[in-house]
Amino acid sequence: MSHNSITRRFSALCLGVLAACSSSADRNDPDAAAAPFRVALLTPGPISDQSWNGGAYAGLQRIRDSLGAQISHIQTKTPAEFEENFRQYAAQGYALVIGHGFEYQDAAKRVAPSFPKTVFVCTSGRATAPNLGGIAFAFEEAAYQAGMVAGALTKSGTLGLIGGTQLPPVVASFAAFEEGAKRERANARVLTSYIGNWDDVSAAKEQALAQLTQGADVLLQNADAAGLGVFQAVRERKGAVVFGSNANQNGVAPDVIIGSVVIDVPHALLTVARDVKQGGFAGKVYELGMRDDVVRLEFNDQLAGRIPPAVRSRVDSVGAAIRAGTFRPAASDSPVLPASAPR
Amino acid sequence: MSVRSVLTEYLEGAVRTATPLALAAVGELVAERAGVINIGLEGAIIAGAFGAVVGAGIAGVGGGMLLGVLAGLALGLVFALLVVRWRADQIITGTAITLLALGITGTLYRTLYGESGVALSLPTTAPVAIPGLSAIPVLGRALFVQPWPTYVLYVLVPLVTWVLTRTHAGLAIRAVGERPQAASAAGIDARRVQWWSTLFGGAMGGAAGATLVLAQTGTFVEGMSAGRGFIAIAIVVLGRWHPVGAALAALLFGAASALQFVAQAMGWRVPYQLFLAIPYVVTLLVLATASSRAGAPAALGRAELEER
Repeated sequence: MSHNSITRRFSALCLGVLAACSSSADRNDPDAAAAPFRVALLTPGPISDQSWNGGAYAGLQRIRDSLGAQISHIQTKTPAEFEENFRQYAAQGYALVIGHGFEYQDAAKRVAPSFPKTVFVCTSGRATAPNLGGIAFAFEEAAYQAGMVAGALTKSGTLGLIGGTQLPPVVASFAAFEEGAKRERANARVLTSYIGNWDDVSAAKEQALAQLTQGADVLLQNADAAGLGVFQAVRERKGAVVFGSNANQNGVAPDVIIGSVVIDVPHALLTVARDVKQGGFAGKVYELGMRDDVVRLEFNDQLAGRIPPAVRSRVDSVGAAIRAGTFRPAASDSPVLPASAPR
Repeated sequence: MSVRSVLTEYLEGAVRTATPLALAAVGELVAERAGVINIGLEGAIIAGAFGAVVGAGIAGVGGGMLLGVLAGLALGLVFALLVVRWRADQIITGTAITLLALGITGTLYRTLYGESGVALSLPTTAPVAIPGLSAIPVLGRALFVQPWPTYVLYVLVPLVTWVLTRTHAGLAIRAVGERPQAASAAGIDARRVQWWSTLFGGAMGGAAGATLVLAQTGTFVEGMSAGRGFIAIAIVVLGRWHPVGAALAALLFGAASALQFVAQAMGWRVPYQLFLAIPYVVTLLVLATASSRAGAPAALGRAELEER
């Protein structure tokens, strides 16, 4: 190959690398104190998803505003990128690096021992070390309530669940939904489809259409950005309703979203960051659920009228029992997870 | 729900899934027949999707389609500049363009619409039933109750076939893809032919991305092209570099994907990853059983037009 063609290959590669770098690194530098408190966030998907990733970015901003932290965010796709970015941030002296999701655990476990001055936290993670912790969201507590509503509302007796990939937290949330549904309607049939990724919004829509054709009339999506396709499908086929997840998505499609299984990710991240800043971090798993008001079911006021008052009060009393610690969905103790389900 | 309605629904899903793939593949095919393999097609699709979002916000569905096609065309232009004008390596340049487009669309999206995005606020096209044809049992609804980009494809496939096989322009494209030197000796401006073919490929990639947004999802999600550009390139090979072949290959891929949607929704207790693999397994099987280089333009992917 000629010298000229090597130069060409090189410049073309540079162009690509440049583009890849500029895409998601979002550095933020307010005027810093002497030793700035620096916090970084790794997300598996785009922060414009109005769901799992958007909530984490909102949390990062809240850490900046409440704790005066310098923040940085990067979107990562592959496990190799997880580890590389953990290392990069730790080497730059970040005090706290958050991997947002179950999938970051292995990388964090490998990197943490090399950087004792940096705290690593994985949401939905249960791995611990002196400088490694997790945040376990009891998502299935509110998913159980959503399932109760679905079981009570369905006319066809068929419900649909659509997930991104089969991560343990997603499986647990679906199991809790089914459990809640069967409490209200013992013979409910529950369909489960996985898209295979978290951003193919068109495939998500097709999965939902296929479930609706099978007669499903209440759906729950747990597919982050791709989940928007599920809402679109429900909009086009009249008569069904759908639950949003991870953030309050009721405003995204107020004509069909009956409620959202909300995780208050910003509140959770701020809680952990505050501990890290004050030196009170102890390498533990933060168990956060309905009792901490981090997980809750939020109804869409426009459609909540469809839920009979009797059902509403049964759902509320289950909520009260969960908060009082007298009731737990069995899915919280499902064998795929060590204890209460993360995410 | 009857077996028949499930079958109809399945076929409709197959055609819907195939449409953007076929649009992208027909464009890529023309570029490849002229000797240019554009791996940047994935980038053109995501650029088209983003262009469609911006255009639809300004001027509705028509504006969305126009801006989507223009965005794909713009990436085709960048690719042609590097590859046709300056003869850079096609594979590396295409990869760079895909990365560039995935990054830039995400950044621009957040800049223009903020972190919360435009979720589901875009106008979309409803399926249009073609009188008479849509009444054909089973197949009628699948083929003739679709959003209009599908019908564009029905016109485009025979048109491109005719241009490639029956016109001087088509002869020039094929000549440049097979023997660029001979074509030049015969007075064909090989660069110009490659320029126009590459631009057409980019525009069609843009149309495919715009279709995803305007005819299917009504929203933009970063990375929503989800590998369709690469699948379309495989479809071109599968379709033996012929427009009708590519359209059928896209339909095969759509049918395999739709089977996967139905299978999961029917609650068949098989690991979902197996269903997700169906389209790829089908592609591999077809590629393996057909001898893969047969039908490929001889000068495909070659950086230089002249032998040295």
